[in-house]
Amino acid sequence: MSDVSITFDRVTKAFGAFRAVDEVSFALPRGALVTLLGPSGCGKTTTLRLVAGLELPTGGRIEIEGKDVTALAAAERKIAMVFQSYALFPHMNVLENVSYGLLVNGARKASAESEALAMLKTLGLDGLGQRLPSELSGGQQQRVAVARALVLRPKVLLFDEPLSNLDARLRRRVREDIRDLQKKLDLSVVYVTHDQQEALAVSDLVCVMRAGKIAQMGTPNALYEDPADAFIADFMGEANVIQGEVLGPNRIALGGIALDTVMRAHPPGAAQIAVRPESILLQPEGSPGLPGRIQRAAFLGQTREYEIQTPAGELFVVTPAASPAFAPGDAVSCAMQRVIPLRPAA
Amino acid sequence: MSFTRRLLATGLLLGGTAFLPAAAQAQGNLVVYCSVQEEWCRPMMQAFERATGVRVAMTRRSSGETMTQIRAEATNPRGDIWWGGTGDPHMQAAEENLTLEYRSPRLSELHDWAVRQAEQTQFRTVGIYAGALGYSYNVTELNRRRIAAPRCWADLAKPEFRGEIQVADPNTSGTAYTMLATLLQVMGEEPAFTYLRALHRNVNQYTRSGAAPARAAATGETLVGITFLHDAVTQKIAGAPVEIVAPCEGTGYEIGSMSIIRGARNLDNARRFYDWALSPEAQNIAGQANSYQLPSNRNSAIPPQAPRFENIRLIDYDFARWGSAAERTRVITRWEREVRAGSR
Amino acid sequence: MGALTLGRAALIGAAIGLLLAPWHGLENGALAAWPRGEASPLLALLLDGSRWWLWPVAALLAAVAPALLRGRAPGLLMMVAGAGIVAWIFLMGHAIGLNGLAWKGLAPLLGAPPPQPSLGWGALMVLAGGVALFSAGLAARGSFGADAFVSFLVCGSAFLLILFVFVPLVTILSAAIYEGDRFAPDALAARLTAPEAWSLACVTTHAGCGVVWNTLLLATLTGVISTLLGLGFALLAVRGNVRGAVAFRAMTILPLITPPFVVSLALIVLFGRTGIVTGFLWENFDIPRSRWIYGLPGVLLAQVLAQAPVAFMLLDGALRAISPSLEEAASTMGARRFKVFRSVTWPLLKPALAAAFLLGFVESLADFGNPLVLGGDFDVLSTRIFFAIAGARHDPGRAAALALLLLALTFGAFAFQAWWLGKRRYTTVTGKGDSGLPAPLPKGLKLGCSLVVWPWMAFTAVVYGIILVGGFVRDIGRGDMTFTWRHFLTGFEVEWHNGVDFRGSAWDSLFTTIEVAAIAAPLTAGLGILLAWLIARQSFKGRGTLEFMTMLSFAIPGTVVGVSYVMAFNVPPVELTGTALILIICFVFRNLPVGVRGGLAALAQIDKSLDEASATMGGGALSTLRRVVLPLLRPAIVASLAFSFVHAMTAVSAVIFLVSAQHNLATVYIVGRVEAGEMALAIAYSTVLIVIMLVVVLGIEKLVGRAQIGRRAATPTTMHAGA
Repeated sequence: MSDVSITFDRVTKAFGAFRAVDEVSFALPRGALVTLLGPSGCGKTTTLRLVAGLELPTGGRIEIEGKDVTALAAAERKIAMVFQSYALFPHMNVLENVSYGLLVNGARKASAESEALAMLKTLGLDGLGQRLPSELSGGQQQRVAVARALVLRPKVLLFDEPLSNLDARLRRRVREDIRDLQKKLDLSVVYVTHDQQEALAVSDLVCVMRAGKIAQMGTPNALYEDPADAFIADFMGEANVIQGEVLGPNRIALGGIALDTVMRAHPPGAAQIAVRPESILLQPEGSPGLPGRIQRAAFLGQTREYEIQTPAGELFVVTPAASPAFAPGDAVSCAMQRVIPLRPAA
Repeated sequence: MSFTRRLLATGLLLGGTAFLPAAAQAQGNLVVYCSVQEEWCRPMMQAFERATGVRVAMTRRSSGETMTQIRAEATNPRGDIWWGGTGDPHMQAAEENLTLEYRSPRLSELHDWAVRQAEQTQFRTVGIYAGALGYSYNVTELNRRRIAAPRCWADLAKPEFRGEIQVADPNTSGTAYTMLATLLQVMGEEPAFTYLRALHRNVNQYTRSGAAPARAAATGETLVGITFLHDAVTQKIAGAPVEIVAPCEGTGYEIGSMSIIRGARNLDNARRFYDWALSPEAQNIAGQANSYQLPSNRNSAIPPQAPRFENIRLIDYDFARWGSAAERTRVITRWEREVRAGSR
Repeated sequence: MGALTLGRAALIGAAIGLLLAPWHGLENGALAAWPRGEASPLLALLLDGSRWWLWPVAALLAAVAPALLRGRAPGLLMMVAGAGIVAWIFLMGHAIGLNGLAWKGLAPLLGAPPPQPSLGWGALMVLAGGVALFSAGLAARGSFGADAFVSFLVCGSAFLLILFVFVPLVTILSAAIYEGDRFAPDALAARLTAPEAWSLACVTTHAGCGVVWNTLLLATLTGVISTLLGLGFALLAVRGNVRGAVAFRAMTILPLITPPFVVSLALIVLFGRTGIVTGFLWENFDIPRSRWIYGLPGVLLAQVLAQAPVAFMLLDGALRAISPSLEEAASTMGARRFKVFRSVTWPLLKPALAAAFLLGFVESLADFGNPLVLGGDFDVLSTRIFFAIAGARHDPGRAAALALLLLALTFGAFAFQAWWLGKRRYTTVTGKGDSGLPAPLPKGLKLGCSLVVWPWMAFTAVVYGIILVGGFVRDIGRGDMTFTWRHFLTGFEVEWHNGVDFRGSAWDSLFTTIEVAAIAAPLTAGLGILLAWLIARQSFKGRGTLEFMTMLSFAIPGTVVGVSYVMAFNVPPVELTGTALILIICFVFRNLPVGVRGGLAALAQIDKSLDEASATMGGGALSTLRRVVLPLLRPAIVASLAFSFVHAMTAVSAVIFLVSAQHNLATVYIVGRVEAGEMALAIAYSTVLIVIMLVVVLGIEKLVGRAQIGRRAATPTTMHAGA
């Protein structure tokens, strides 16, 4: 069997004149957790629903595990999905919810229930089988939704913003759990989110979408360090995007001042330069770097944030709390430890 | 008939005859469309069932509705025989070839008017009873107003009856049309319309049903109600304070009729019913059922309460002329234009 | 369900219909003759040559069989075969009728074929098979999300809607362009613009106005007054801080379960010229007795009595849904109480007000019973249509033209509502609970409401009191108040004589009514919910059309429906008149819109992701519907069950032409009693109907209540509500 779990071949989904997904092609590796990331309306959820079979494409071809499923209804695709709202059946208890998929697929009631019980145990939900969904906490409901999906032993597991209904603290724990589970069971997972941190934290691969097309796909590290354009750079964590000039390898000019830095290869000439807030080292006035003046300063416990006026424009800088503190009005020098020269956006 | 049996029957009907007409009838059935009042229809059908063993299914509707039904079903008739109701629609049905010719052996026992009715329609219908037209007034109301008791048609046009007369609308009621035709025959066309225009000022409502004015007069909702006299008799016998008037100028009458529907599925039983319904024993049921028309068989007993035709100046009603659809449309249209449209 | 499965099922069903089941309707219970004579299956008829023109049906079926049996599902072929079978059977059914060839133009092709009676069981199965094949074909070609079950539901219900809503409507409306048997479009124009419809004579003279103006005036007044009264009730009930919940509740149930005519009768007893109130006023205050009740005022009063409670129900719901925090927000911003009411509460109520008005308006357009009894000289379209058909001057063309006008008014009202509400958005009304306290009514407003509401309630009580008493006294119309059982005995006498003998004259019609209503109700609810599910949850081409078709029958006046059914279903190929089935079908398709609306409303509250979750777990449309959607829709299903039962028991205008000797209905029986002036018996019978419906409605309500509470306590093994 091939190492590809899902293939999209120029898949398009149009709603009237609007193309929610526009000639998208990709091949997702087996056993990987792939995140679909993007601002709302970018087509990521439609893409997920196309995989699930909840939408049928208006053009192109979809394969799951090497089988053409383009015209196959959701019920026949051997996938499972965890919904944003969890979509637990309110009239069934937890056990019934989890054994539902097995039953509609023709399992006997007794075997379905024992499998469901085992899955509940795996997810730490033992003892809750007789409860109704409305009697569970948000985190428990989320796990029931996952259990209900996993018990079907799907080829592909889909998550649609599974954490958006949880509070921040819980969100972090649950996403770790999902990642562990995926690794333990060697699942192919497609995961939709609009939260780049979440995407970076759990993914093997991140696929950033914009206006129905794939903007860039790669490992979290690659996307962060090596974004294709200003949109990706800004979307994958904050970045100061300023106009500058590439002078040669590891040498740029910002605001007319030549600086040494670390950067990827880029032909010399004018370019947009992205600088991550944490890549800028603040030093007292006179040190090598771009001169500037502190406009605003904030202390956030673990970090400090500054807005600095420089000849190249205003910069947003984050420094560790342990580094020396500056006050508004102080003159500083900004050393560019690492910059990303951007290719012009498509 | 037990409820469970009926449920069972319905179940079978639904289960067995998805696209089918009424569950088949065993030999010895008859479907009767009855156009007199329910309390006369029922004992008639029961008596026929007892007399012959034929099972009767009866639907009661006004003669207008029955006519509509028969027309709608013309290509595939459901009913076998149409019994009762004023003669006009029966004659119209004969004219439209919706009913069948049949000469009952009992024709010789009938009054002349009944036989004439049959002859005029090539024996497609026959008279079963006759009822004279007239009016009734509420005595209590009359005394209260100190109005002299009316005796003639002309009295009703007097100004003291303003807003006190009720009559049916000829568009919807055969009774009202009989009145139009009667007045036209009594007075001549032009004087009749002059009279009708005067009467119109006194009418408080043109009811839709022909018998309704009798009921209204009985309860005092109106002072005078123009109807067939037998409808008024029914009210009087029920205790209503009404007096019944056969107008002095003379009056017309209806001939309640009976016709066999063309395409009847139980033709033999329809003929059996036809003969039976013309017999004295069948016609005597009317009196017991509070219906006081004059039966068509000379040997039938006349209910003592029935208005005697001997005491009424009956005109020689020309059913052939006034029953024809063309004349009818002409008269009603003229009435609508010249009478109904006028102010009151 | 896959296309192949459905295709095979269709093939088997059609094959049984073709080979075994009697093709034609059985006229004399001749099943004994099977497989010969009247009970012959089509195969026998084909082989002996008496139905040679139906060979194409067998041929089309044979054409798809090989592929299906070999496990392939050829989409296009199945579509063509399915559509071809259905079309051919109907085409030939119309071309060759009871009297042999009906379309004389086809004589050169068909010769002189023997008569062809109506279709029976076999034909039904082949037709169903044809529709199923067509659906399977569509699904195989990827329509309906490739789900053959959905495809079959859509095609099947479309087929039924066309047959039982669209065809009858076209049949009767086509009568509008015929003058006798002559095709005459100019007659239609003349009828549509006739002065009887449009005359404005009443403005300048004493003559009556055109019937369209009358109808519009009555409907507008009914709509406005009912809405205002309903609003008064709702304000008082929700914000007035008053006691009397039971009274308010009773107000909402009564009009639902009141048979037509009966309120009108009570009004005559009260306000007629010799009525109780009239007499009292005359004797004590010398107020002259008049006949004002006959005409617009009486009809209006009767319609408002029926519609105000409906408006109350709608507005009560809307008022409760308005979140008090909005009003609180307005008050904290310094608005005074009346200002809050006017600037916040009132605008938020607008959509519900529009809905209440529209409902009153449309119901008044369709009302037939009250104008019939109380109209006097005041004619409206619904009664005019009835008498154009059933009156002394029978004129179906005129009736059809008037029906067109009535339809136009109804559609106009709906279109107006859509336009008016479409331009505004009211998103503040959420389903979320809210902890704020509702603002109490301004004092003046509360007093005003009380002054109207309490007397109206008392008035309603008196009207129903009359109904209650009327059945037990000798003649309430003439003021003879001697107690008697006579009317009930006439109607409902029971004798013990070799078991129970139901001798009363009303029993037959009562049993038929209950049977028909009891059979029609579950069919209505079932089909309505299915259609709602299709419309709300499935996306397919023609969904809007399907929705329109289901709603269409709501707009057609009952009289028109009744006559159109007689016209359309009296002759082969589909021959239904005189059966109980035609009553059931009539009720199902007439009450369908309410089932669909109830279903749509309930589905709107059920997250669509529940359906999708089931689909991703491998639940096809059928399992999803059965195990997830239907259990969650239970309250809606039960409500529409109750509604269609009650409506089937109180309908009159549509069925007055459809009842037959064997199958008479309670309401038609009552109409007959009213016609004959036997008001007391009519009232007595109505009382019995009211009691029956009350028991059913309360019983069902109790059942739903218990079902919802009992849910939690149930044990897991008994929880598959749908299984």
